[in-house]
Amino acid sequence: MNNVTHIVRKVRQAPWRAQRQWIGLFLLGLVLMAMVAGIYLNVTVRATLAGRETITLQAMITTNQRVNADLETQLAGLISIESMQKRAEAMGFQPADPTDITFVAVPGYKGQSAVDLSMPIGNHPEVPIILPEYTESWFDYFMNQQVSSALNGVQP
Amino acid sequence: MKRLPHSWRFITSALILGAMGIAILVQIVRIQASPEVAGVIDQGNYIWKDFYPPRGEIYDRNGNLLAGNMTVYEVGLDITANPDMPTVMLALQMAGFDLNEVNYRISQVPNAQYVILDDFVSASRADQLMALQKVAHGDPTGKNLDAIYFKAHYGRSYPENDLASNILGFVTEDNHGYLGIEEKYDNILAGIPVRMAVPADPRRATEYPTIPPGQTIILTIDRNIQSAVENILDQALKNTGASSGTIIVMDPHSGEILAMSSTPRLNLNEYQSIKTVFPGETPFNRAVSEAYEPGSVAKILTMAGALDSGAVKPETVTFVPESIVVGGFKIYNWDGGAWGYQDMTGCLANSLNVCLAWISDKEMGSASFYSYMQRFGLGHATGIDLAGEVPGRLKLPGDSDWTPVELGTNAFGQGVSVTPIQMVMAASALANDGQMVYPHVLYAQIQDGKQSNTKTQIVGNPISVKTAQTLSDMLANALETESSTALVPGYRIAGKTGTAQIPLPGGGYDQNNVNTSFIGWGPVDDPRFLVYVWLEKPQTNRAASVVVAPIYKQVVEKLVVMLNLPPDAIRLQMIGR
Repeated sequence: MNNVTHIVRKVRQAPWRAQRQWIGLFLLGLVLMAMVAGIYLNVTVRATLAGRETITLQAMITTNQRVNADLETQLAGLISIESMQKRAEAMGFQPADPTDITFVAVPGYKGQSAVDLSMPIGNHPEVPIILPEYTESWFDYFMNQQVSSALNGVQP
Repeated sequence: MKRLPHSWRFITSALILGAMGIAILVQIVRIQASPEVAGVIDQGNYIWKDFYPPRGEIYDRNGNLLAGNMTVYEVGLDITANPDMPTVMLALQMAGFDLNEVNYRISQVPNAQYVILDDFVSASRADQLMALQKVAHGDPTGKNLDAIYFKAHYGRSYPENDLASNILGFVTEDNHGYLGIEEKYDNILAGIPVRMAVPADPRRATEYPTIPPGQTIILTIDRNIQSAVENILDQALKNTGASSGTIIVMDPHSGEILAMSSTPRLNLNEYQSIKTVFPGETPFNRAVSEAYEPGSVAKILTMAGALDSGAVKPETVTFVPESIVVGGFKIYNWDGGAWGYQDMTGCLANSLNVCLAWISDKEMGSASFYSYMQRFGLGHATGIDLAGEVPGRLKLPGDSDWTPVELGTNAFGQGVSVTPIQMVMAASALANDGQMVYPHVLYAQIQDGKQSNTKTQIVGNPISVKTAQTLSDMLANALETESSTALVPGYRIAGKTGTAQIPLPGGGYDQNNVNTSFIGWGPVDDPRFLVYVWLEKPQTNRAASVVVAPIYKQVVEKLVVMLNLPPDAIRLQMIGR
């Protein structure tokens, strides 16, 4: 029994064994750090790429909006009252006077009303384009989860 | 308490770290506030830039675009690219740039890396320069135009040019609205700009802010009616030699202005020429910005007050001599003659000054007369949503410059100044069963895709329903009795002419010129339009019944077509079915 205890102590206290343990621990730490750094780098790169893409898309949206506005204005110029009158005259039309008009009673017709430029239902930009999950912090995320769970009466 | 050994080390470390923290804070503040750093931002790689949201569009009531946005360019030069300046200058000259202006801009920022050569350059001019740049690209001698950069952004555009220009106003290059709707609703049209430092070099990426656009608005104006009215007014000025004119068309039930024309007009895409088009003190929109003595059109207000107060009845008959003394001064009829016995319709039909002065002075008295004039809003701005409205002037007993004779002269529109829009608002009470409506040009606003319409506002009930209907009938009868040139076959209308002397700045009246006007509404049983016509200093004739009444008729003939308004007989048949 004494011999066994002696051998175990010798093995445990062998210098090469202690060194190996320390080296192993160091390498383990290094690997862990490398893994964390790798994940961090991966996430950062993806976030950066997404950010750059978002900026590019925002720029495209802005450009498209500007081009749309420009085209709308150009169209308005083409159908301006001066242009339309010239076209109508060229086609042989002439302004009507009261004696040219024949009125017909149409049941239910209430006459022309002013324009309604409301956006059709479903096109309202009420839902944000970038979801909050992409902009909020971990703390905000967990807080929001807790709050929404409490409001809905369910466990998170 | 006993200190630990070597505790001085911890205290020293804390002090050093604290000092470092303070030093960092001081440095942050210094960088933020330093004029040196600000100078570097201003003149170096960064420039302060205002990001304006796209300005809200302006539509007429039928959805026709009156003011929109178009693409314009900022043209800049990258100095770090060592551009060949003679080649650049030649290209700029070919594209129509002002080289003096370009040289001035370059000289103003000698050490800059990027110079803005011109801004708000039209797409056509920018396209020319881009085409030249494309041709010169890759020139083996290095004489290319690659250092020129183009930054597209919004610029204001008015597709109808000068149509409704007096209502719209314009936007300058600093994105501020001036005059008309553009000024009145500048805050909601413009949105909220954002200011931030951005790299001057366009190749350097930066995150631009997301800015919500300005609100779109819809006007009560009908483009077709506005155009017709402007054409009629232009032709009237040519035919009569009048120096200027104004026509307003309003829905008397809602106060919606359907058309408002005033001369001169400005092509809003060339607003820089405003000082040429409007020399001196010329008002931009006479309908709201020029007060004048209205003359006989104001008699409708006097008669309305007299009928409403019970001072007279339509059948009241009075002897109308050639003159009447009020406040120690003689007041004469327009022709200087006596008109014998007249009922109240006759007084209006023949526009008798003596009769109206008799009503205000003898039958109503100053307290009642001026009470009614104030109820009609005279002397106060209407509050119409257009920039530059003036209130006119109604002198009251007790004012230092009021004299008793004015009780008589005010009754026929002399000695009191009003704007055309004030007359229109006052007359709306007569055309709208005693309810006076707030005149406005904003029909609706669009925000977040939702349209909110402007509600009709009643600003007062100066007279009763009965008075309004009685006076409308009297005025319609008066027009029919005198076979007025304002009458439109098939439609019963009420109205009144006005021929007014023009006061001179030094006192007295201009003996050579008059103001002529006509105010009327119809159909009398259910008015759909109220029209005011004013011509200043017509040269062919001085009588409003000759000069302006036919213009009113022309306007109404257009209106009944554009408003789909059948003749009275047909309309009443349709209602009866």
